[in-house]
Amino acid sequence: MTYIRRLPSFEYVSASTVKEACAVLSNNKGKVKILAGGTDLLVQMKERKVVPEYVIGLKQISGLNKIEENGKAGLRIGTLVTHHEIARSPQMQENFTCLAKACEKIGTPQVRNLGTIGGNLCNAGPSADSAPALLALGAVLTLQTGRGERQVPLEKFFTGPFSTILEEDELLTFITIPHLKGKSGSAYHYLTKRTAVDETLVGAAAALSLKAGDDVCEDVKIGLCSVAPTPIRALKAESKLKGKKLTDGLIEEASRIASGESRPRSWAEYRRDMVAVMVKRAVTEAWHRAAANKKGSGK
Amino acid sequence: MNKSDLKDYAVVGKPIRRVDGPAKVTGKATYAGDLLLPGTLHGKILRSPYAHARILNIDYSRAMKLHGVRAVVTGRDFPGVRYGFMPQTRDQLPMATDKVKHYGEAVAAVAAIDEDIAEEALDLIDVEYEELTPVLTIDDAMKEGAVIIHDHMDTNIAASSKMHFGDVEKGFKESDYIREEKFTTQRVSIGFIEPHAVIVNVDNSGNVLIQGSKQSPYITWRHFCRAMDLPLGKVRIINPYVGGGFSGKHEALDLDFAAAALSKKTGFPVKIVLSQDEVIAAFKQRHAKHVEIKIGMKKDGTLVACECKMIAEGGAYASVGPFNIVIFATSGLLLPYRMSHFKYEAHRVYTNKPWCGSVRGQSIPIARFAFESLFNMMIDDLGLDQLEVRKKNSILSGESTINKMTVGTAGMVEAIEKLGEMIGWDGRKKKKAPYRGIGIACSPQVSGARMGGHFGSSAVVKVDEDGGVCLIHGGTEIGQGCDTVLAQMAAEVIGVPVEEIRQMEEDSDVAVLEAGMFSSRCTFWAGHAVKRAAEDACQQLAEIAAPLLEASKDDIVFKNKTVFSRKNPGRAIAFIDLVRNAYYTKGQPIYGRGSYSASNIPMPDLKTGEGDVTNAWAFFAQAVEVEVDPETGRVKVLKSVCTRDVGRPINPMLLDAQLEGGTVFTSGQALYEECCFDEKGRPLQNSFLDYKMPTVMEAPENEHFDIITDDPNGPFGAKGAGEGSNGTTLAAIANAVEDAIGVRIKDLPITPEKILAILKQRR
Amino acid sequence: MKRPVELTVNGVLYKLEIEPRRTLLEVIREIIGLTGTKRGCDRGNCGSCTVIMDQKPIASCLVLAVEAHGKNITTIEGVADHGHLHPLQEAFLEHGAIQCGFCTPGMVMSAKALIDNNQAPLESEIKEAISGNLCRCGGYARIVKAIASVKAKS
Ligand SMILES: Cc1cc2nc3c(=O)[nH]c(=O)nc-3n(C[C@H](O)[C@H](O)[C@H](O)COP(=O)(O)OP(=O)(O)OC[C@H]3O[C@@H](n4cnc5c(N)ncnc54)[C@H](O)[C@@H]3O)c2cc1C
Ligand code: FES
Ligand code: FES
Repeated sequence: MTYIRRLPSFEYVSASTVKEACAVLSNNKGKVKILAGGTDLLVQMKERKVVPEYVIGLKQISGLNKIEENGKAGLRIGTLVTHHEIARSPQMQENFTCLAKACEKIGTPQVRNLGTIGGNLCNAGPSADSAPALLALGAVLTLQTGRGERQVPLEKFFTGPFSTILEEDELLTFITIPHLKGKSGSAYHYLTKRTAVDETLVGAAAALSLKAGDDVCEDVKIGLCSVAPTPIRALKAESKLKGKKLTDGLIEEASRIASGESRPRSWAEYRRDMVAVMVKRAVTEAWHRAAANKKGSGK
Repeated sequence: MNKSDLKDYAVVGKPIRRVDGPAKVTGKATYAGDLLLPGTLHGKILRSPYAHARILNIDYSRAMKLHGVRAVVTGRDFPGVRYGFMPQTRDQLPMATDKVKHYGEAVAAVAAIDEDIAEEALDLIDVEYEELTPVLTIDDAMKEGAVIIHDHMDTNIAASSKMHFGDVEKGFKESDYIREEKFTTQRVSIGFIEPHAVIVNVDNSGNVLIQGSKQSPYITWRHFCRAMDLPLGKVRIINPYVGGGFSGKHEALDLDFAAAALSKKTGFPVKIVLSQDEVIAAFKQRHAKHVEIKIGMKKDGTLVACECKMIAEGGAYASVGPFNIVIFATSGLLLPYRMSHFKYEAHRVYTNKPWCGSVRGQSIPIARFAFESLFNMMIDDLGLDQLEVRKKNSILSGESTINKMTVGTAGMVEAIEKLGEMIGWDGRKKKKAPYRGIGIACSPQVSGARMGGHFGSSAVVKVDEDGGVCLIHGGTEIGQGCDTVLAQMAAEVIGVPVEEIRQMEEDSDVAVLEAGMFSSRCTFWAGHAVKRAAEDACQQLAEIAAPLLEASKDDIVFKNKTVFSRKNPGRAIAFIDLVRNAYYTKGQPIYGRGSYSASNIPMPDLKTGEGDVTNAWAFFAQAVEVEVDPETGRVKVLKSVCTRDVGRPINPMLLDAQLEGGTVFTSGQALYEECCFDEKGRPLQNSFLDYKMPTVMEAPENEHFDIITDDPNGPFGAKGAGEGSNGTTLAAIANAVEDAIGVRIKDLPITPEKILAILKQRR
Repeated sequence: MKRPVELTVNGVLYKLEIEPRRTLLEVIREIIGLTGTKRGCDRGNCGSCTVIMDQKPIASCLVLAVEAHGKNITTIEGVADHGHLHPLQEAFLEHGAIQCGFCTPGMVMSAKALIDNNQAPLESEIKEAISGNLCRCGGYARIVKAIASVKAKS
């Protein structure tokens, strides 16, 4: 345990293009840190957990702070979009409820106005709240270096607590979420010790679509955080539900399966029990939202 | 408030705005961390990474070479005189010399030209330690052959208390129903938002000026002078606003000593502001307690006997531990209910953890938690009514307790009655909503306990020649509202608006400092002194007014900035004209003084626990409503209703605010706050993210009611009140959780895991 | 290396040379000298350092001053208008929403950001708005009432 201090000294570079940022990264490998909202990075620097020689600010790069339609691919969220912007976007609230809800939960209003969605993923904490939602929504990340860019599904992104597949000179630029098909809905449920400013003990997001006209689950994805070294999908629970007619009993069963898929470390028994409760609540709410979705499509 | 009891006061008893409000709401109020003096250097403290270790060597030569570093001090730079609250428990030094006794104890300090350099310099101080086995639990501390923490002692028991009144064995024999339970309570952090901060200047003649965030500047001053081996006159302490105290800012702390030593070495002022991390990890916490309690009662709920054994785990230094364990019994168990037989045994043990002392409510919250929980269980066991049994046993005005504490006015019964009315107690059983529960608890509160040493209060009222009034008192505004309440009292006596009363920062060269801001003392003690000082000033003016008004001086009334005779209100002179007359015609400056001491109270006997501790007891009843999520075990506190007898609230709005605050504060301990340590005694939390305190989302709705008893011993009938709800909230929440889901948790905090584990077992 | 930074604080333009390591909180308190903004934790947990930047409440301890270049910032000292208290400030006084006062500047800033953008906030919105401001004196209920009493923008 370290006591917090004032920030260590560093050189600050304000990048105006992605290319420029990548160049600084590749010329100073291992000595640079990217600064998005700073709500994780600056704290880690004050704790001296990271002491970079250079800090690259991304805020002057245009285009990374927007939410845009990207044709068939779905909705493209720039890495610098803040939690506040996502939580308050009517489009998000309606069509990607689980993500809006997750972003609304993060930190405090003062933190949500600074913290970015990309920063939350790149920090890669086991309890990153946006991750279960983005996993449930099938998000794909755009990662960029001076050499080019690649598209990676979020499931492949995390490699361990606070570690990702990002190369040292690589930047996350966009997060794309496909529109949910058919009658669809999503939800995020989480548990904390107190109501605000609290790390998630168990977080579960579910996004599902129903076959037209009935309660048969056409597709479902469930994302979890805080119950494994990284945010994870509850794949077995998903397959329990897929193609079946949804009932409370079936959801209950799937929730227990999800609980078995989790691997929490501390308060393990309680947390495993809570995975079942949160998954049940998330799937049930997603189902009801889907059933009530008149448009017949997430979009 | 009972309307019929509203006396004809102009400002006393009115919910007026606080006098320090405008400064605070505009950001103009100055706190210690905001201060700078010309040439200020910045200090930082190096802290022990071990809970228990011998210091073999400290080498700071590398730090001294860093550009911008001006001085380094270690424990060896101090006279080596131990300080503490009581002669027999003086066990603390300004900084560790040969041994560190808890994680985070100060071992060296640096002053540099800026904070960044001072921090960097800490990494250049090389300390060689020899790790010792840490003593972390009550068992570690008390077992045969335990590692002894303090070299000057042969045990880890810092203090003990034994009491026996009546004959408990006989009492239990006479009881129809006896039950015994064990309760444990955890360490919690104090949690003020303003971290400790101080700026100290030592001038060329060795005069020390301390300006710090101090709840009780008097205690700091005394501790400081003792440990620095200085006469009081060499040290002046001036107190800016304090960002919350809750008993965490009484004593002199390592930063005060370090800043002084560094200032002396460098010849410049030195400012040290701690990080919240340091405060949470290494500073004062509430004792962890093991309480075994046994109660005997009659079939009808009449309380007969109580026996209690308590062990308090209190960390590396004794602090007020010896009082804490006595107060646990006297203020925590022997009231508010009558009992005929009582036996108590308590120990306060040292461990290698941050030291514990008093925290908002002292030991009363824990004592009431244990007592009211068991009491509640027994009332249920017997199928009796929770309110009726409490009323039946409540002490009445004029009665004495078995340990000879006299109770003047007591509105406990009325408070419980009113509580029942406000929560609709009678009708409730029928329409109880699932997973909702109501818990009740009662508690007494002292109006400032009489302590050893300096305990009197004093005040001066200076009337300026243009009618302005300057009030000098020894109370400290820590948020509790003492400046407002004392100004209300002075304004009431002198007949001027509160806004015209000036007050200043507390200054040891100007005021006789209050013994401290503890045990809900200030309104009662300083209040008396202020009232008397104002009366003295008015007396002086009345003598001048009497011939002018052709009246007897005893009939002179001061009201609405005019002065007249009670017998002839039509003939009045303006207050300002009277004052001018005093100054310009008589050449008589007006300077009133007043003091108060509860010297009629003998020092309570800390050994036997017998005798009075205070001149007035306040009484509190609280009902808390909770809702439990049966799937997650999470508890939400929905509503708090607090009824009480505080004599007469001087400012009902400030009183309500303090009691609401006490409930929020204490609900954290009830439900989730906990200071945890690893197997080496290193704290597991150092931020408000890991250390969980209630947010606005946790705060319940509140309702209040005051039973007015106008205590004849109190200024304007007031009794001490600020910590009242702390005494009731823990137990009320525990009782409410049981009411909601039938789960009784006896070890705090009542976490969702614990609730669920029991529910699961039962399913 | 110091960099030129321009900040408009409470309507006053400050042209400064600042090291990149300085947080906005440090610049406001130590360089500009406005000490009403408090440092409770320096970790974004307590809200006592809240200022309004670009109409939004932010934790000034988590912002590099160099990244605030060109921004408009309001601190607690900029809330009252030439000695006339803002209705929110009046409401805090009227409802007894202040105790030790250490959290008060941050509370007022969070509340101001809310009512500047939402003239009739619901109670739930008020609570949400100050959910990142810790008050250990525990005066939350009164703070919520005070904010609720200020119906419209001044
Ligand atoms: C008081 C408080 C409460 C919090 N509560 C929560 C909570 O409830 N839930 C939660 O999930 N989080 C919480 N957080 C953590 C934090 O706010 C979030 O993780 C936030 O989303 C981080 O985003 P940022 O933009 O601030 O990231 P930064 O701090 O700027 O960056 C985080 C990390 O990601 C890297 N990075 C950022 N952007 C990129 C990019 N585009 N490409 C490559 N690398 C990048 C940075 O180098 C850094 O290592 C809390 C933080 C605080 C201070
Ligand atoms: S000081 Fe910035 S949030 Fe606490
Ligand atoms: S008023 Fe003291 S912390 Fe809020």
